[in-house]
Amino acid sequence: MPKVMSSAPNAGGRHQRGRRISPTLSEMNVIPLVDVMLVLLIIFMVAAPMLQRGVEVTLPVAARSQEIASERLFVDLPLSYREDRAVFINKEAIRIDVLAERVRQMMLTRTDKVVYLRGDEQVNLQELYEVFDRLKEAGVQNVGILSRLPGER
Amino acid sequence: MRMRFLGVGSWALGVLAVAGAAAFAGARQAPQQPAPAPQQPSEIAVVISGDPGTPPRYAIPDFVALNPEAAEVAKTVAQVLWDDLAFEREFYLIPRDTYSTVPAARTADQINFNSWRELGADGVIFGTVQRMGANVRVEVRLFNVRTRQAVFSKEYTGTDANPRLYAHTIADEIHQQQRNLRGVARTRLTFASDRNRERVAGPVENRDVKEIYIADYDGANSRRVTTSRQLNINPSWSPDARAVAYTSYVPVPDIFISYLYRGVRENPTKRQGSNFLPVFSPDGTRMAFMSNRDGNPEIYAMNVDGSGVRRITNHPAGDSSPTWSPTGTQIAFTSDRSGTPQIYIVGADGLNLRRLTNESYADRPTWSPAPFNEIAFAARTGPGYDIKIFDLASGMTRQITFGEGTNESPAYAPNGRHIAFSSTRAGRWQIFTIGRDGRLVKQLTRDGNNTTPAWSN
Repeated sequence: MPKVMSSAPNAGGRHQRGRRISPTLSEMNVIPLVDVMLVLLIIFMVAAPMLQRGVEVTLPVAARSQEIASERLFVDLPLSYREDRAVFINKEAIRIDVLAERVRQMMLTRTDKVVYLRGDEQVNLQELYEVFDRLKEAGVQNVGILSRLPGER
Repeated sequence: MRMRFLGVGSWALGVLAVAGAAAFAGARQAPQQPAPAPQQPSEIAVVISGDPGTPPRYAIPDFVALNPEAAEVAKTVAQVLWDDLAFEREFYLIPRDTYSTVPAARTADQINFNSWRELGADGVIFGTVQRMGANVRVEVRLFNVRTRQAVFSKEYTGTDANPRLYAHTIADEIHQQQRNLRGVARTRLTFASDRNRERVAGPVENRDVKEIYIADYDGANSRRVTTSRQLNINPSWSPDARAVAYTSYVPVPDIFISYLYRGVRENPTKRQGSNFLPVFSPDGTRMAFMSNRDGNPEIYAMNVDGSGVRRITNHPAGDSSPTWSPTGTQIAFTSDRSGTPQIYIVGADGLNLRRLTNESYADRPTWSPAPFNEIAFAARTGPGYDIKIFDLASGMTRQITFGEGTNESPAYAPNGRHIAFSSTRAGRWQIFTIGRDGRLVKQLTRDGNNTTPAWSN
């Protein structure tokens, strides 16, 4: 196919005789390469969605379902509490004045009334007990205090 | 070879183009979804929703008194509105003692939405009260805390005789608008009470004086209906809530109807034997009752004026405590024809009798209003009675009170979500309400003994 025959012996012109043209390609023939690559691309495009994990599940909607009990509620007590009197739950700053009510709202849908406290090591006992008081007011039964192992960062 | 390359290439490009178009379409669709289509009504945006899986949280700070004389009304309205909205359990009501963390607003522009959001509120109710002579003007707005827009806005003008009625009206309208729920805040209860502690001489059965009272659904604003100094018990409301029928021992028990707004008392049965336990049919034209005029207790029905008496049951055993089905085509009643009192139903024409319960002792059936098809009754469970509910669709019975004192005389709220009953759990006989699911028990009366409640429409 790449060879092209001259159509007709035409009269005149610089090439007098109807001669066979043999074009020599000076570049590398990348066409088979691109061909194969595109086929591969298509194969992977078609296969890619099937490679994704198993079956797609659309969870049923339930407006009043219980939160999974193992989902833990963390309260962060940074050292900045000393200045702004605010703790953090899910990165949201909550002033100590409204902490009890907010945690009460969060406890409504939970079965285990447990809160985990991530306090700074320099928080003093007075500050800790202020937070404890509010958590107890909110109906929290157990407060776990997180720590790290000696070598851990 | 070039042709083939082009062929495969263009196909691949086509696939890419299709995939790209799909992705593009998806990307274009996503931002379009939240914007409401132009022909959609604005109601969807009006409903305040809570976080997923939790009911919306409302805060109701004290209403603002625009002049000093309105301060008391302003405080009452907010407190009663809080109670009314909490009663249906459609919203989480943020306790009012936590509102001190939020700066008080004198006008709607001053509402500190950030502080309410920090307290977890999805909606906040802002109201003002202005007193103009003997009249008050109550203005109320419900704000969506996230969008900071008012989704409910109403103004009421009226007398200051019953400030609680403003709160009840607001609560019913908010339930209707936000949850499409018929609230019961403006309904009333009627019951028998000996709270005035009158006693009269005479035969033993007549020394006990009870009078008929009516009260708001929360027990407030109680008023006395009868002043006969006799035993008046088992009241029931007419469907339009303008009349109360009851049994009065004069000294022979007979049926009387007190028309509350006309101040008229009628006696449709006119001393024909002993007549007890009147209940209005759902359309208000007929009345079922129990009478021993033919020798033993049977169920009868008559027109409200006493004409057209018709006997419904016919059995040598005793039949009592009739209650109408919501359509008025059937009557449930208690009968001891099997040896122990059980609940039966029968057509209003006296046909198609059927036994429902199999308890050791069951009495005082009450048929629920339309959305639910069930019958509440008192069943003996140990030394006392407890409220049970028979579901007519499934034939299952469930219990909603559990042995705290004895619990009797259930009566459904007009929306079917609550049951009023009389109980000895707090010492003397008092009226309580309980959710249809057995939760949220609330004591309504505290004075004297109060029994046999009935709930108005």
